[in-house]
Amino acid sequence: MSITGLGPHGERAVPANQVTVSEADAEVARHRRFSVAIVLHTTVSDWAKEELAGMVMTLGRYAAAVVEVVDCGFDADEQVAALNRLANEPVDAVVSIPIGSDSVAEAHRAIPAAGKKLILLDNAPIGMLPGADYVSVVSADNFGLGQIGAQLLSPHAPKGGTVGILAYGVDFFATHEREIAFRKWMGAHRPDLTLVRGKFPDVSRAEVTTAGLFERHPEIAGLFAVWDVPAIAAAAAIRSAGRTIPMTTVDLGNEVAAELANGELIKGIAAQLPFDQGIAAGVATILGLLGREPPPWIALPGLAVTTDNMVEAYQVIWRAPAPADLIKARRIRIPNATP
Amino acid sequence: MSPRERTNGPPADKATDSGSGRFHIAAGAQNSLTMLLNLVRTGAATTRYELERRSELGRAVVTDRLAALIRLGLVEEGELGQAVGGRAPRHVRFRTHAGMILAAMLDHSSLAVGVADLSGRLLAEHHEAVELAAGPEPVVERLSTLFNWMLEEYGSSADVWGIGLAAPAPIHKPSGQRLFAPVLSAFQNWDSFSFVEELALRAGAPVWVRSGVQTMTMGEFKSGSGIGVEDMIFVKLGRSIGGGVISQGVLHRGAQGAAGMIGYTSVDGESLEARAGSETIEREARQAAESARSSYLAGVLARTGEVTVTDAGHGAQLGDGFCIELLARAGRAVGEALAPLANLLNPSLIVLGGSVAQTGDILLAAVREAVYRQSHPLVTRDLRILRSQMGGSAGLVGAAQVVVEALFEPKFLQGWIALSSPREHPESRDFLARAADAMKREPQGPKPPGPT
Repeated sequence: MSITGLGPHGERAVPANQVTVSEADAEVARHRRFSVAIVLHTTVSDWAKEELAGMVMTLGRYAAAVVEVVDCGFDADEQVAALNRLANEPVDAVVSIPIGSDSVAEAHRAIPAAGKKLILLDNAPIGMLPGADYVSVVSADNFGLGQIGAQLLSPHAPKGGTVGILAYGVDFFATHEREIAFRKWMGAHRPDLTLVRGKFPDVSRAEVTTAGLFERHPEIAGLFAVWDVPAIAAAAAIRSAGRTIPMTTVDLGNEVAAELANGELIKGIAAQLPFDQGIAAGVATILGLLGREPPPWIALPGLAVTTDNMVEAYQVIWRAPAPADLIKARRIRIPNATP
Repeated sequence: MSPRERTNGPPADKATDSGSGRFHIAAGAQNSLTMLLNLVRTGAATTRYELERRSELGRAVVTDRLAALIRLGLVEEGELGQAVGGRAPRHVRFRTHAGMILAAMLDHSSLAVGVADLSGRLLAEHHEAVELAAGPEPVVERLSTLFNWMLEEYGSSADVWGIGLAAPAPIHKPSGQRLFAPVLSAFQNWDSFSFVEELALRAGAPVWVRSGVQTMTMGEFKSGSGIGVEDMIFVKLGRSIGGGVISQGVLHRGAQGAAGMIGYTSVDGESLEARAGSETIEREARQAAESARSSYLAGVLARTGEVTVTDAGHGAQLGDGFCIELLARAGRAVGEALAPLANLLNPSLIVLGGSVAQTGDILLAAVREAVYRQSHPLVTRDLRILRSQMGGSAGLVGAAQVVVEALFEPKFLQGWIALSSPREHPESRDFLARAADAMKREPQGPKPPGPT
């Protein structure tokens, strides 16, 4: 597992496991009893829950209290309001995943302007700079995730066929990087394929967008969705159309894991490690609060998941036994492995 | 409403509509149009009254020219301003989305692309690793693919007005010719490929090329620590070491375009690059790791199999004695090379960028100490020496800013303002025609791989 993408300003990634808090710094942090607020695009997805768990555990380890968790419901206006409010609240740092770029940049700048530390997840709004505006961006290697998505789809895409990309219609660095990398990998390794794209403005429109894409391009013979929730919506659209189209996506959410196990549509998943990312974000927050200079771009590699490794990948990512359908599918695939 | 209707007392050289649907600008009107557009564009004047005052043109002329600029799609009316004893003035503003600017930056191991509006503000940027050994064709293809994606994603219906390209080597500045496609000599075997021409033809717009350090200087000057500063030096400390000079608000390129090659300066009998370049630091850090002179670096080498400049910076921050000494020594060498420049140019700001500069405060402190020690007190009285916080974005922002400056440079602007787009400027057309000729003359085929 390597990190292939560069940061929002071209930074070379420093792997998350190389960023640590020294014992001496840990002691200082515990005495200072920091307060931290966390602003997420959502708190209900599997990814968000694990990310949050990693952060909360790590911050707790250094006696930093998570005093508020804001669920913005994918709404940039909500995020702007929350950040402007938090700028005047008694918190020492804010960890945020920016929803968009230009539209939320000023509100994010309000945090450092108020003398607080800002740690970003996945995305730096355009024009925001490390050091001046934020401490670090802690992210999955989104470029690598896009490459994995292409690599896993390639064997299922017929020669000379058309492959669809279900892209996010919001200016979001992470999903853009996935799409750019997917296209680059396909261009380099599968120049025979034609790539077409549908853009959904929000996840509730992903199914309609997929249906529209199929109407315009009935020849589509493969699909990459930029994350798992729209992938599930796309799978519904594919079934409604009575078709079977191989798909890949990003994030091993529970629903998409079940889809992978049944082997019908989802052929592979480029998985993130949200709990580990949460830990890295917690560490970067503590380092930033102590005036250390953690790297501006801290990244975690993606994990290629297929039916061959889905059970162990599930355990690694979710730190829990895999659901029964995954285990059952594994037994069918590897009969000798059954006890 | 036509410009004629808007005037109250017609100016002698009015911008006028011929009535045939074609918009004509009288030759004499171009100076005033250029002046007014640049006043609006730079924010120096945003109401008719301010424009009259700053330009010293009469009310009728200003009214006529503004109408022409609005008609040309370069200016639009904005919100009402604060009333001072009368009617509230209507603000006018530059249409930053009338055209798009593309920016690209090439380095020895990475490339970057961005799309900017006509203020030079980046709307998006993307950086990725690049394999240059395959030769120039895949790189120009990649830049073109990324440009197209960005325009689809962020562009409007507006045309691309120009491309700024940053290359990791000095760019020859021709005498006389204003728009010129230089040969990229930074990479082996690239000089036989018309890279700049190919890029221009694919986007249908001229390309302005500068060295990477010069675009970084521009980026830092326009959007980084240099905002509001008139005299500054930018120093890129990486594999190569180079400097950029802004003097009285203008980028100094030198007679041949090679100003700033400070890596060649000798410090204690060796070139600055050999003393403080990232390759030197990495080599010494690796030796220290292998000989266990640095326990921190030895640990890094055992864990990752390599030792980078960034590792040396982390080691110094964590108190590793070897790393502190290594970076302090590099910083002193940089400071000693910079002090004569500070004495010569009396800048108010020196910004250090590049991977070596990002190692932290040890190096910065050593640079400051050496510059302050060897400079006249008046030179250092208000001198600030800072680390760049723009990272790789400085070069992209600067590449876009180079294009903005070129497009709106008064003499060049006069050549296209009546045509509403610099794509129509005779020099732009000539540039593209020459590029097309060059591509015709040069049958494109597989080139031998160029080791970098």
